[in-house]
Amino acid sequence: MKSLAPVAIAIAVLALLQVLTASSEYFVYLSLLVGVNVVLAVSLNVINGMTGQFSIGHAGFMAVGAFASALLSQVLNQYRLGFLPEPVEHQLFFFISLVVGGAAAGMCGFIVGLPSLRLRGDYLAIVTLGFGEIILVVVRNTPTFGGALGLSGTPQYTSFFSVWFAVFIVVLFARRLLASPHGRNLVAIREDEVAAEAMGVDTTGYKVRAFVVSSFFAGVAGGLFAHFQSIITPGDSFSFVKSMEIVVMIVAGGLGSTTGAVVAAVVLTLLPEAMRAVFIQIGGGNVALAQSIDQLRKPIFGVLLVVMMLTRPQGIFGTHEAWDLFKRKKGARA
Amino acid sequence: MSDALLHAKKVSIRFGGLKALSEFDLEIRKGDLKGLIGPNGAGKTTAFNVLTGVYLPTEGEVFVCGEKVNGRRPHQINRLGLARTFQNIRLFKELTVLDNVRIAVLAERTPLFDRTRVESLKRGPYPGRTVGSVLDALDNYRDWWRALLRTPGFLREEEGIEKRAKELLEVMGLSHRVDELARNLPYGEQRRLEIARALGTRPKVLLLDEPAAGMNTREKADLMVLIRELRSRFELGILVIEHDMKLVMGICEHLTVLDHGETIARGEPAAVRTDPKVVEAYLGEAPAHV
Ligand SMILES: Nc1ncnc2c1ncn2[C@@H]1O[C@H](COP(=O)(O)OP(=O)(O)O)[C@@H](O)[C@H]1O
Ligand SMILES: [Mg+2]
Repeated sequence: MKSLAPVAIAIAVLALLQVLTASSEYFVYLSLLVGVNVVLAVSLNVINGMTGQFSIGHAGFMAVGAFASALLSQVLNQYRLGFLPEPVEHQLFFFISLVVGGAAAGMCGFIVGLPSLRLRGDYLAIVTLGFGEIILVVVRNTPTFGGALGLSGTPQYTSFFSVWFAVFIVVLFARRLLASPHGRNLVAIREDEVAAEAMGVDTTGYKVRAFVVSSFFAGVAGGLFAHFQSIITPGDSFSFVKSMEIVVMIVAGGLGSTTGAVVAAVVLTLLPEAMRAVFIQIGGGNVALAQSIDQLRKPIFGVLLVVMMLTRPQGIFGTHEAWDLFKRKKGARA
Repeated sequence: MSDALLHAKKVSIRFGGLKALSEFDLEIRKGDLKGLIGPNGAGKTTAFNVLTGVYLPTEGEVFVCGEKVNGRRPHQINRLGLARTFQNIRLFKELTVLDNVRIAVLAERTPLFDRTRVESLKRGPYPGRTVGSVLDALDNYRDWWRALLRTPGFLREEEGIEKRAKELLEVMGLSHRVDELARNLPYGEQRRLEIARALGTRPKVLLLDEPAAGMNTREKADLMVLIRELRSRFELGILVIEHDMKLVMGICEHLTVLDHGETIARGEPAAVRTDPKVVEAYLGEAPAHV
């Protein structure tokens, strides 16, 4: 099947990279952070960019996926299937946990998506914001999830390969979606909801489905995140601030552009790290200084966003995609 | 029950104190080419909005292909065979001409479950209703998978959609614009694109809201010829709103005249034109429009 060829290539390339980078722990750690953010940004872009709805609670879905999959993983880890080699068994459990975490987030997406039947714009944004906060409150008050202290002891399964394979899938998905009737209908809703409805598009159904699928991927991102952090707490990693970071990424990249979401997620994740490295250099290895630099991440995001909106309101890529350039030249279709 | 494709019975709608449409009656059958005229603010567009489900009528009933559609959503009414264009052009501006039409072209997809049965389940009593929704969801989520995997069936469908969209663009004389963004088209072509898009939904009845507005005389004349062609080619019933009396007299076989929401005259164009009430309504307007 021709359509599966990219998957085979991606697996080969990622496996090779996994081996090549294995020795550099810091690089791998950064790449995991970056990859998770890319999955989050590309998936949020399905709601905010393609469908034109406004969600600012994406970290909430990430949290659902993180805690659900971490818990399941810990439970599964107590069992042995026996007939499989142990590493294979771990990867199988990992995969199951990710999918279940994603499904749990998707279910929440369905529930949060329902109000989008009636609400639009600011009102919908507030519902998604509220959802994100509710999730954190629920986690803090549920001993099973470790309460306010968080959940530790999750098996550290996440690898370079798994994160970037998820990135590959979500990007492939976003790209192929836009070249399908389903994706075109989402964009039609963004462009003109009344006209879309008049042309037979069940706008409410599509909006809810956009929420479900987007949340699924956010949940998977959360699951990946949970499996390389020694502890996940219902705090900053899943808070409103995190949600806003993702929103900034897709706005900066260009709402509706998957390429933009990827590029912005990479740059904006690495920027604070790069700055930290630079300041450590300047401060002569002063770790306290480096830590305070990390605090600058939020103001920097703010300033970046303001500058961006003043100079290039449509974002880096507008609604364009990198692969459109190829398409023009070859006259082929994605 | 009449065999009209579109049938409005004593439809009224009120916005606060304003009765924008009162006791509006209309029947469109296959092959009809009727006109809806009247001065500005007469309620013509409002009539379209009620027929297509944008507004819920305060009184009266609307039937599409024999089904009562009061309270149904616009996309459901569209699926029954009623398509429209908008007076204030509502294209998907940032999309290409081709995509505008492709969106409207129903995927020639084979649903997982029998559509009519799912629809009737969804409108029925409760346990069945849930089953209907679940079946519907399964069917819809299948589309995401097919999009991701690009299955052979999916690719065949895409080809069918593209082919049909291009045919429609050809009919509307827009073949040379396929890859351009809708917003870059000149006004007259945008209006024609709206018609192509409406045709994409395979309507039985087409409602055109001032399709010639903003066109020059030559374009207007061409469009009128085209509208007649569409009727026979696609076996449509057509209802045209047109402000320009002369134009509408030329092609319509039946006119309904609205003024302040009231139907003040209806019948053959020749008779309507000389009707004193119609003359008065139009004289009351700014001379520029006469
Ligand atoms: N949604 C609405 N709310 C309040 N008044 C409306 C609404 N839509 C239309 N109207 C009023 O109804 C009357 C008829 O408008 P319309 O149908 O657009 O006239 P036209 O015959 O020019 O198309 C106008 O007075 C208009 O202001
Ligand atoms: Mg009007």
